[in-house]
Amino acid sequence: MKRSPENLSPGHQQTDGSAPKWIVIGLILLALFLVSRDLIRGDGSEVFDFRTFSQLPTQHGGRVQPLDSVARNSLLIFRGRQSALTEDGQSLTPAQFITEVAARPEKSDELRIFRIMNPQVKALVGMSGEDRRDFSYRDLRPHLGEVDQAFEAINPESEQRDAYERAVAHLFQSLSIYHRLIHSFAPPDNLDGVVAEYQNFLLSIPDGMEAIRSHERGEPHDSAQMRRFVGFTDRYMRLGQLASLRLILPPEGDAIEDDWQTTGESLIGTIQTGSIDPMVEHYARAIHAYRRAEADNFNEQVAAIQDHYRDRFPSAAAMTQREYWFNLSQVFYRSTELYVIALVLVLFSWLLWPNTLRKASFWILVIAFIAHTIGLVARMWIQGRPPVTNLYSSAVFVGWGAVFLGLIMERLYRNGIGAATAALVGFSTLIIAHSLGASGDTLELMQAVLDDNFWLATHVIVITLGYSATFLAGAIGLIYIIRGMGSTALDRKTAKALGSMVYGIVCFALLFSFAGTVLGGIWADQSWGRFWGWDPKENGALMIVLWLAIMLHARWGGLAGPRGMMLMAIFGNIITAWSWFGTNLLGVGLHAYGFIDGAFLWMGIFVLSQLTFIAAGSLPARFWKSPAAAR
Amino acid sequence: MKNLLHFFTSLRLTIVLLSLSLVLVFFGTLDQVRFGIHHTQELYFRSWVVFSPVLSLLTMLGAREFHEGFEAIRFPLPGGYTLGTLLLINLLSSHLYRFKLSLKKSGILLIHGGLILLLIGELITALFQQDTMLSMDEGGPPVNFSRDFLDNELVLIDRSDPELDTVVAIPANRLRRGHPIEHEHLPFRVETLQFHPNSSIFQIPRSQRGPERIGNLRGLAADHDLWAQGRAKTYREREVNTASALIRLSDDEGEIGTWLVANVLPEHFPLQEFEHDGKTWGIELRFRRVYKPFSLSLVEFTHERYPGTSIPRNFSSLVILDNPETGERRRDLIYMNHPLRYGGYTLYQASFDNQDTTSILQVVRNPGWTLPYLSVTLITLGLFVQFGMGLVRGLSRSNHSPGPATEKSAKASPS
Repeated sequence: MKRSPENLSPGHQQTDGSAPKWIVIGLILLALFLVSRDLIRGDGSEVFDFRTFSQLPTQHGGRVQPLDSVARNSLLIFRGRQSALTEDGQSLTPAQFITEVAARPEKSDELRIFRIMNPQVKALVGMSGEDRRDFSYRDLRPHLGEVDQAFEAINPESEQRDAYERAVAHLFQSLSIYHRLIHSFAPPDNLDGVVAEYQNFLLSIPDGMEAIRSHERGEPHDSAQMRRFVGFTDRYMRLGQLASLRLILPPEGDAIEDDWQTTGESLIGTIQTGSIDPMVEHYARAIHAYRRAEADNFNEQVAAIQDHYRDRFPSAAAMTQREYWFNLSQVFYRSTELYVIALVLVLFSWLLWPNTLRKASFWILVIAFIAHTIGLVARMWIQGRPPVTNLYSSAVFVGWGAVFLGLIMERLYRNGIGAATAALVGFSTLIIAHSLGASGDTLELMQAVLDDNFWLATHVIVITLGYSATFLAGAIGLIYIIRGMGSTALDRKTAKALGSMVYGIVCFALLFSFAGTVLGGIWADQSWGRFWGWDPKENGALMIVLWLAIMLHARWGGLAGPRGMMLMAIFGNIITAWSWFGTNLLGVGLHAYGFIDGAFLWMGIFVLSQLTFIAAGSLPARFWKSPAAAR
Repeated sequence: MKNLLHFFTSLRLTIVLLSLSLVLVFFGTLDQVRFGIHHTQELYFRSWVVFSPVLSLLTMLGAREFHEGFEAIRFPLPGGYTLGTLLLINLLSSHLYRFKLSLKKSGILLIHGGLILLLIGELITALFQQDTMLSMDEGGPPVNFSRDFLDNELVLIDRSDPELDTVVAIPANRLRRGHPIEHEHLPFRVETLQFHPNSSIFQIPRSQRGPERIGNLRGLAADHDLWAQGRAKTYREREVNTASALIRLSDDEGEIGTWLVANVLPEHFPLQEFEHDGKTWGIELRFRRVYKPFSLSLVEFTHERYPGTSIPRNFSSLVILDNPETGERRRDLIYMNHPLRYGGYTLYQASFDNQDTTSILQVVRNPGWTLPYLSVTLITLGLFVQFGMGLVRGLSRSNHSPGPATEKSAKASPS
């Protein structure tokens, strides 16, 4: 590897370019610690084995996932965070939360898990006086009737709801998810006696069935026995209907994709089989043990469920466990932090210790990129799919592609620009991904039409890399404007170097956007018999291709100098954002009510900010501190 | 003349045209919210000029209520045909004018050759593509036609022969007031008293119908007090226009009767029939049918969901294809991403109905379907050649000297 030649980082004073080596090493070690801290930190499983409990499987949303994922996604929906708050402000892990829900709902009712921001909705549940945002089920219980009524009254068309109506719908949805979780593990009204209850139920079956048969034949029968038995079946039927989690493996001989059962359904099935399913039994015993604070017993029961699953479906069990570790690592959050640190370091490197800080930021960026890659690969492994399957994963992948290209740029030019833009785009796209991921399971299943790995792996990947490159070019444009107007560092040579960086990236972007669009056309022709249908998403891709073609022609024709290319690259950000999100907004009732919608508002802010940069960058050379860059 | 040549071969023109295309595509996307894909496509991309209203921008910005006057603020944009033609001229003339065959320019040449093909392909698609729907019921009769839900036809059916119906179909765009239609197979004249491209059909007693003077009402309008009132056409996806017409038939002896026909009636009522000269006739307005040389019958429609959810996993139709001309008879499974291609048609699973017992296929026929493949092959090749050469040159140069390497190659490649 060539060490950075001095003449490639122009505009800096080389004399104080280095600081003690330990700073670099220290920063890198810090980054390594930051990125892995969730895995190092304990998860409160020292006494009660929350970890194994939250690794237990459930078939939910059509796929098998660990309870941990259910807990995290539910909490994300409830309060936008992957944690629950106790009344005295302590934070519980998702694993602890789901254990409480299963075994001590009376305690989980006290957890502050429902976030209410809308003042009208706060008033609706009688909490106007409170200045907190998170409320417990117990806080809300006296007002459930009002929430139901308010939900009945709002606009049934979800796309046409205003802020209050959306908040009501959100609260209603959160409450019902919670309610259904409570009913998923065992009958919540008799958890202390649940083990005995199941035994009594089992004992009541033969006599109860006999009594019913006699009753049907019109013969004399023991009506007390019959009532007892029917009471049980009604109870478990209702339990089965209220539950959302299918916790019990499909009957022996069925495959893992077949229908799993809820606890209630499995108990009803007991009438046929004559024995309680071992998983139901172990869950009951685990709950019982947890309530009596018998940690060893609880841990044994939970391990027994785990073993049962592992014996039947070893490879699926391994995958469920992997998903748990993937969740725990929070790898995308952690790489976001590192991108911010890298960006700050690069920015500082333009003021102080250019070589040291740039080197440190480069390696931190590499660590962040490796973490990002691991996350991406883990998702692919767990899902068995190419990396991009929904809007969330497209954000993750756009960032990944841009960081990759930025790192290459940094290696080639060693002037901090590649690193800065990589960090900027990596950070922004992961932030976008986080906010998209707050709406639920990001490993969700795909609609039938997208269910084709070949095309997902080609068309979607290629076109997403096109987005990455366009954003990267736009980010270079932004940095060009900021440095050129705000500092004297952007001399002619650097400006030229940046110009050729943008040119190279734009060529790459055009190649990928065009190829991606064409692959999409071929997929469309293969599936629908038409290559092109002027549909919003297709048009968005076409707009990127057109814009990049305009940029290249303008440069070839000498109509745009380096500055012109930069301004056009920034405009490319707008076009790409439109193609990526704007077209989705169109479908989501943009026509009438998009304005308040979070996504649309952010889109507007983004467009305005980019236009501001373009306007500023168009000012005459006397406004530039580096006039050479204003050509 | 030289000025003109200069104009048409200039790179500035290319940039202007590409920029206008960008604007056109943008507005052509926005307006889909109001006009749906199909109509917008006609307005923007298959036209010479389009008057794009400011309204579509405003609605995008979230304005819920606006002054009606905004609807009137429009600005003209060159349509897809105009831009396509000009781009073609621009491309062809600059290549002819500055034509020099060299290895260096082979990339550009390939790219632009491909683009020309792509434009032509889109033109052929615009002119000749047929897009219709075919719906079949599980265990129902074989179906040998598809329907175009955007177009209608009035049919008069001679049902006197129990073996064979003779059908005269009149395209809906010929149904105009004051333009009676005669046909050699029709013993009467067809007059359109009213035609609504979209309407509401409802039941209302004759006495309350308002002042229209209609002659001898027969059929559903008389028996069920059905009536139609015109309303604005809808362009929304998944909404269908209820076309309706009042048709008066008359022969030399005078009026035979007047019928209310509408494209939604055949679904709910039996064919409206009448006797004339000892023959039984039927009359109806229906979605335009396109007959196929083959028929399909649905053996089974399957709609799989992911366990415990309503998320569809797959839709598939098991069909029997029967072609009496070739004697071909075979089974085919049509499912997501796997259409049936037969006889120049592509049939793909588009929808379903009646509790998963009716399968609806989209039937597409596009005679220009091979052109995009050819063109993108050329363009892709060209892009690789062009940027590949640039990259190789750039890399080899940056090994020798730092700094921007692509500058020269960029200057050396005008289009």
